[in-house]
Amino acid sequence: MSHIRTDHLGGAIAYLLHKPHPSMAGLVRQLQVIGLSVHEVWPELPEAAMSADFIFYDADMGHDEQFPWPAGKSPVPMIALVGSEAPGRLNWALSIGAHSQLLKPVTDKGVYAALIVARSNFDRSVSSEALIADLQYRLSARQTIVQAVVLLTLRGKSEAEAYDMLRQTAMAWRVTIETAAERLVANYSNIEGTTNGRRIDLA
Amino acid sequence: MKRAVNIGVLFSCSGMYAAMSRASLDGTLLGVQEVNADPNNTLTFNVIERDPEGRLDRYAPLCREMLREFDVKHIFGCITSASRKEVIPELERFDGILWYMVPYEGFEASERVAYMHSCPNQHLLPLLDWSLENLGKRAYLAGSNYIWGWEMARIARERVAASGGLVLGDRYVAVGDVDIDHIVAEIIRLKPNFILNSLIGESSYVFLSTLRDARQKHGLTDELPVLSCNFTECEIGAAGAAAEGLIAAGPWFASDIGHPGSFHEIARQSVHELASLLQTHENAQQCSLAELISVAAGADYISRINPSHLHANRPVKIVQLEGKRFVTLAEHGERVADPYLTHKTALAQSRPRLRVVS
Repeated sequence: MSHIRTDHLGGAIAYLLHKPHPSMAGLVRQLQVIGLSVHEVWPELPEAAMSADFIFYDADMGHDEQFPWPAGKSPVPMIALVGSEAPGRLNWALSIGAHSQLLKPVTDKGVYAALIVARSNFDRSVSSEALIADLQYRLSARQTIVQAVVLLTLRGKSEAEAYDMLRQTAMAWRVTIETAAERLVANYSNIEGTTNGRRIDLA
Repeated sequence: MKRAVNIGVLFSCSGMYAAMSRASLDGTLLGVQEVNADPNNTLTFNVIERDPEGRLDRYAPLCREMLREFDVKHIFGCITSASRKEVIPELERFDGILWYMVPYEGFEASERVAYMHSCPNQHLLPLLDWSLENLGKRAYLAGSNYIWGWEMARIARERVAASGGLVLGDRYVAVGDVDIDHIVAEIIRLKPNFILNSLIGESSYVFLSTLRDARQKHGLTDELPVLSCNFTECEIGAAGAAAEGLIAAGPWFASDIGHPGSFHEIARQSVHELASLLQTHENAQQCSLAELISVAAGADYISRINPSHLHANRPVKIVQLEGKRFVTLAEHGERVADPYLTHKTALAQSRPRLRVVS
């Protein structure tokens, strides 16, 4: 996803989604000093922002429709520019997916830290989402594993032997145990479907 | 009739940094004297001097007092990063500018500070590059336990690794601590090609003398060279003969024995820089630093201060202490500062492949 090191920001691209305002000059200056190239946009975030390295967005005037992705699903680290600390605005800033924040009026302080924190939080959320997706898949595959073990016990194996066989099959096929179970069950269902529900001996 | 301009001077002439403060202070005052004596100048400087006496909490109130009560806009001062961070909010509140004239670790670019000495791509990186090429690839890092020591070590680890070298050890001691024996023992055992010494003050002097004794004891007299980015002429006296052979880097070193050195010279130059900038137009006193620089450029005075990040362009010298004076080993021309080490010129071609996070 990211193509720069957290501590190496030279050449990175930032989109600044904020109504033109003199106070943004300080932020633009600091980002350029750090080595980023900055695109100031308002009110729409162009498609090109999907491949940027950072997006700064206005937490005061911003709204969901500005972002071409569902709330919280940004493909880029997001930094909220917070003016009003009213809970409603903060809620919105969080729901859209702030990885870090800067308080308005933005000065030359805190910009580098905001970039580093946003990058780190973004990376962490990407890797936890991948992990969660994997765990959810494994969780949902649990029933399939039970089915596969039951099918194997039909050969007269004990439950432990059946499980071991499943594991060895997975190793032989070089797939996860969940995938091996899925294939065994699918295979059995197909055969069962063509034989009017008569039980087939897998052995 | 010359225009009189009040300037502030804020150095601690007691405490840990007294020697460095003294060099910077004297350089500032010499610069003022020269500016005031120059018949071609249209202004003179009046110095408002304050001494925080080495107490961090004194910097902000003294800075504020000068800005508010003495019509001061430009302040020359601060040695440590901690003290600089203390005064920046006051500069923002009361529209002041700090002339910061000693080397620092980078990662800052305040619109209210003229960074006149050097940052890591102007001291540490060229020093490491020279050492990795000429001394070897096995490094040892020692530093005082605060931001300077940590950041020098962090950058060094990255640079050494990028060049295919190895950091054999990495030790820190509390500021002012002189319990150094275990570090020297480890160095003798590991025999690195060079030691980056980012210790400050007394810790550094004790380290240098303990290491010298250990070298002699173990017959390693010509080995274990020590590097530093913070050791300058103003510490030669305090460190004594043990500092002989030390390799340093920075924009300027004195070639004659007894010159007050780099901090003194850069301070002196900084006062001249301000005088040159202020003379470019009448209301210059009200301008921000960036405005001063751009107005001056319009009047054909090209400042050495970079208009975007306000760090000075500086040449680089790699020097070695021989007979109480620094002898040049290598030098590079003017280098634009890269305070965040993000520009490609800063980390040379040997940078490791970028990490891909999927």
